[in-house]
Amino acid sequence: MKATTLLFFLFWTPLLAQDSERNNTLLLADKFRLNGISTQKAFGKANENALSTTVRLTRNDKLIAMGGIVDSRGYVLTKASDCVGAREAETSDGKKYRLKIKKRDERTDLALYQLLSTDHVFPVLEWGDDNSTRTGSWVLSSYSMLKEIRAGVTSGTPRKIGREGGVMGVILGAEGDGVGGIRISSVVPQAAAYKAGLQEGDVITKVDGRRVKTRDQVVKFVGSNDPGDVVRIEVKRNSILKSYNVTLGHRSVTFDLFNRNLQMSGPVSKRKDNFPRIIQHDLPLPKNSMGGPLFNLQGECIGFNIARVDRVTIYALPSFLVRETLSKFLGK
Amino acid sequence: MNSIYRAILTVFFLPYTLLLKGESTVHEWNQIVPENIDDLLKIQVRLQSLLPKVQGTVVSIEANDGAGSGVIVSKDGLVLTAAHVIGSSNKKMFVRLPNGKRYPAISLGGSELSDAGMLKITKPGSWPFAKMASQGSTSLGDWCFGLGHPGGFDKERGIVVRVGKVIGNKDETMQTDSRLLGGDSGGPLFDFNGHVIAIHSRISKKPDENFHVPIESFLANWDFFQNSKLFTLSKMEKGGFLGVACKETDDGVIIIDAIEGTAAEKSGLQPNDVILAVDGEKIDNREELTILLSSKNPNDEIKLEYERKGISQSLKIKLGARPEE
Repeated sequence: MKATTLLFFLFWTPLLAQDSERNNTLLLADKFRLNGISTQKAFGKANENALSTTVRLTRNDKLIAMGGIVDSRGYVLTKASDCVGAREAETSDGKKYRLKIKKRDERTDLALYQLLSTDHVFPVLEWGDDNSTRTGSWVLSSYSMLKEIRAGVTSGTPRKIGREGGVMGVILGAEGDGVGGIRISSVVPQAAAYKAGLQEGDVITKVDGRRVKTRDQVVKFVGSNDPGDVVRIEVKRNSILKSYNVTLGHRSVTFDLFNRNLQMSGPVSKRKDNFPRIIQHDLPLPKNSMGGPLFNLQGECIGFNIARVDRVTIYALPSFLVRETLSKFLGK
Repeated sequence: MNSIYRAILTVFFLPYTLLLKGESTVHEWNQIVPENIDDLLKIQVRLQSLLPKVQGTVVSIEANDGAGSGVIVSKDGLVLTAAHVIGSSNKKMFVRLPNGKRYPAISLGGSELSDAGMLKITKPGSWPFAKMASQGSTSLGDWCFGLGHPGGFDKERGIVVRVGKVIGNKDETMQTDSRLLGGDSGGPLFDFNGHVIAIHSRISKKPDENFHVPIESFLANWDFFQNSKLFTLSKMEKGGFLGVACKETDDGVIIIDAIEGTAAEKSGLQPNDVILAVDGEKIDNREELTILLSSKNPNDEIKLEYERKGISQSLKIKLGARPEE
């Protein structure tokens, strides 16, 4: 027994070290880390601004999304597709308010809500332009409970994120093997095509009634639909023609079944594509903390967190886009 | 770096650095914790001034079976990465520079123990390269930043940067709270001097405790890796076995225990003996010792130099076989 323990010690490898409990005593104390209490304190006013102008949007006391107060009458912006069913809002002072939805915008995935209160004047976030979002700039947001912040840096070049069409969850074989269509070389388990009944070896002949001869045609015809849309797929199986209705899935969710990264990422936002422009950063925030404001070192709001992409990537809509949408909401 | 050099450093530079500590300014990036926004801003300015200097040395590595990241560390195109990115020696791969250009490369060696890997760009050229930190220059609490191409090369997104602190640094593994994604594997971790201190290896379940290969692992086994030798865990199982449990300290690789019934115990090695050399090869870290011993066969004889209570000694030891678990 003793020998075994020592062997483990001697030939301990990073592979085995995923359980880091063994050497916890040798690790840097939590409070001195990037997101430790000491570092958080250094953010001073920015820290206070983040906490006082961010709200928790809940249903039955369960956090659904975060939001940011953009008007002293209690107007709050949040991520529209994550906020469905929110009934109450909680501010950092622990007060709770009933909620009313005012507007939604498909393009930016933002929604405007109002906290219902007769006399309260709410603290409003200050806007900053997004010039400060050069890669490697400090950014921060309120953490889920509105007691702490999370800090990090802008981690990639601001850019447009294109649309991801729906997918069936199949791997297509090579063209031109003389079968007059495109053969399915494998079916992703539990994904859309699998659930609909498509099988490995099926030869796709038509998509929504249109004859397909090349891989590109299949990809194009299927991909022109959104996740959730139903596509009619005709196949030849052992020379018998069959037809299936496939309810398309999200590309990321479907193929990420294979992706160990995302298995270890925890839940990610369902909509994380098709944004006119985003700021990428690395704050460790869960999926239900999207919709809240993102601040710079000066405590100005430079964007709204709009999608948790994976364990190290969050997209935020830059403030100019958010303000543009807000003006539209308020009819200005 | 060998121990003579280290000894020289210790003798000549230690008192000097102690002196300096008393009076010179402490840079914010070396301070344990920033105290206010000004400190944070200085960290940001420093990071943003270093990025353009080092980004050009980060490559995306493309092999048949996947993608990873790496960093060029020599003018003639040696690239450090993770062992699990190269997989095996003498494999043809491609590296992609930040400008999008692809160049052929070949995998050299590495070690599955630490996950250190090396490859070389085969096209002759004068490549932009990053400087490596020297042995032992990283401490707990140091600020650092990781670069990489998670998910492969993406010109619009560019190289991804994440900042963090060194939270653990022991033997073959460095840990930081700089966040990582699998595709970052093989990418460099820099200190705030702009030197490579580690290579991204594995993610942990906790997003803020990731694993990196310390630069020391490369420095100690440089020739072995460069000569396309890949140390595998299966080689370790079959190779010669001494039977010591060791740890790395400032004084060198120290024996914690000579395991009962092994060659180490029979030869009289004791806890607190410092291992100096095997067959004349200086031992800089624990991994190097393991690689040297496991490269021998059971029943091979080695010459082991060690230090006990300040006195250097030497022993001839016949290695055993690793017990099966």
